[in-house]
Amino acid sequence: MSLFAHGPLTRFKAQYDPNNQEFSISGSVRPQTIEELAPSLALLKDSIDRVRGILYVNVKRLAQMNNTAFHAFARVIIDACRVRPDLKFVIITSSVVGWTTRKFGRLSHVEPTITVEQYDSAFYPGQSFLEEGGFIPILRTQTNMTWRHERAILPRHGMRSGITMADICCGIGDFAVLVQKEFQPSRIVALDHSKSSLAYARQIAADFDIRGIEYTYGDAAAMLLEDDQFDLVTCRHSLQIFNRPELILKELYRICKPGGRVYITNEKISHCLGEPRSETIQWTYNELSKLFAHFEMDLELGPKNRRCLVEAGFEDIRGESFMVTNLDGDPQEFADVVQSWEDTFAGEMAQQRGDRPEFIKRFRRGFQDHIFAALHPKGYAGWPIWVASGRKPL
Amino acid sequence: MPRNVTSQNNVIETSFCKMIEFDIEFNSFISEWRHCAYISNYLARTVSHNRPDSVLYSNLYSSAFNELLEVAFRTRHPAGVLACRVSRDGETDRIELTFPCTPEEQQFYEYAISQTQGAGAQERYLVSLSGDVAPSRDMVLLELAVDYNATLRLEAVDADTVTLVVDLPFGGLAN
Repeated sequence: MSLFAHGPLTRFKAQYDPNNQEFSISGSVRPQTIEELAPSLALLKDSIDRVRGILYVNVKRLAQMNNTAFHAFARVIIDACRVRPDLKFVIITSSVVGWTTRKFGRLSHVEPTITVEQYDSAFYPGQSFLEEGGFIPILRTQTNMTWRHERAILPRHGMRSGITMADICCGIGDFAVLVQKEFQPSRIVALDHSKSSLAYARQIAADFDIRGIEYTYGDAAAMLLEDDQFDLVTCRHSLQIFNRPELILKELYRICKPGGRVYITNEKISHCLGEPRSETIQWTYNELSKLFAHFEMDLELGPKNRRCLVEAGFEDIRGESFMVTNLDGDPQEFADVVQSWEDTFAGEMAQQRGDRPEFIKRFRRGFQDHIFAALHPKGYAGWPIWVASGRKPL
Repeated sequence: MPRNVTSQNNVIETSFCKMIEFDIEFNSFISEWRHCAYISNYLARTVSHNRPDSVLYSNLYSSAFNELLEVAFRTRHPAGVLACRVSRDGETDRIELTFPCTPEEQQFYEYAISQTQGAGAQERYLVSLSGDVAPSRDMVLLELAVDYNATLRLEAVDADTVTLVVDLPFGGLAN
């Protein structure tokens, strides 16, 4: 059971979770007087009284806290250290909120039983397969392939010149660059939780003198971006690789302006297809879907886009789909993308699941046959994508 | 356009470009505590868009600026004007906050600013953290120096007005 305390106008929330021995405070805490914090301070004191061993103080969603509040909470913790030497305090901060680690870190100089841990790149550890190392370059090719379709689709979902937009889970930021060149929004905020992807995005922007895109680090499920800011919020190929996409959708809804739209794309990977050798291709992509499910990612999400948007509270849902194929452009591009899928999915991912060599051999065969189909002079290879958008009610 | 600013304490040529300047009747400002948060959030968002990580920067900037506004708010003078100028030189943003102040308060601020300088600032901050006394305005300024690496100085405009000049050096920050 959790205990809650809310600040004036619910700008912040304090809560205690006895199961995890965790006191957390989130939001913006800027009181004029300490008296305004009385319920939250009482909750912290009560939490301290209840725990043994370690009390975790979670401030990773604490966007703002003025000195009045900081000293009030610090006072309670420091006093507790002095009367409860058996107790340790672990303060959990986030690098997304730049001031917290340093400010709370001072407390460990005052009382050594207080330590600070920065919660960081472990937002979504399961996705590391897709974010690090060799997978990044192929993402550019993927975006170029989908862009041939999306540049025509986007205007039907609210994209137009002069709007303010956010691209959440922007990855290496290439979609934002293409959007800026094609549609000239007045502002683009591009957010991702992969530092290596953002570093790549910023380097590309610097190299090509691309201005006007704000690349920012953050957790899509708990963003620092303010409410009701953007005419269009895009989130492409990403809900499918989060274990709780509804949390992201809630945030996309929150930052979208009333009357604005949220645009999402997802796959149904088992529907990847090719001729010739359709059967082995089909088998591999069915297995690929199961592999992602093992890591709590739903690569079958595409046709569920509509349901997701309805359940998140959107109206005027618009949906469509398109097929990226080997006939769109250079078939070798398609083949390169499939090769990178094989390298990553039949490599590190399958090994981590503990797949046997004979399975992996058969698994790889379908990817190779997909490449064969893509490059065959009479062949056809496809990768289907589902698009949907919803309007935030006024 | 860049302008030359001469520091009261150090004659240093700098080239800060003015970005935003506003003033507000002090009575209006202190009529509502949340003005501090509104102003700091709005200005932070406005000046952050071309920083490497605009959201990270905006959050930090708002935190620091809000503390300064709260310092001014707590003087609670019945008249006068709160004036603010925000300017930038590379990775450093400068906030100049001018507000009504008695001669006694000017002396208080002079002392408080002196405490933010030198190697002992961090130790003074830790002592104040561990003490039993509620945080005061001088501790807020000390905290800006210690936790935000801010450089602070004071300019006495006239007998009943003071200007806090705060340089915030986190323009290059990014995750």
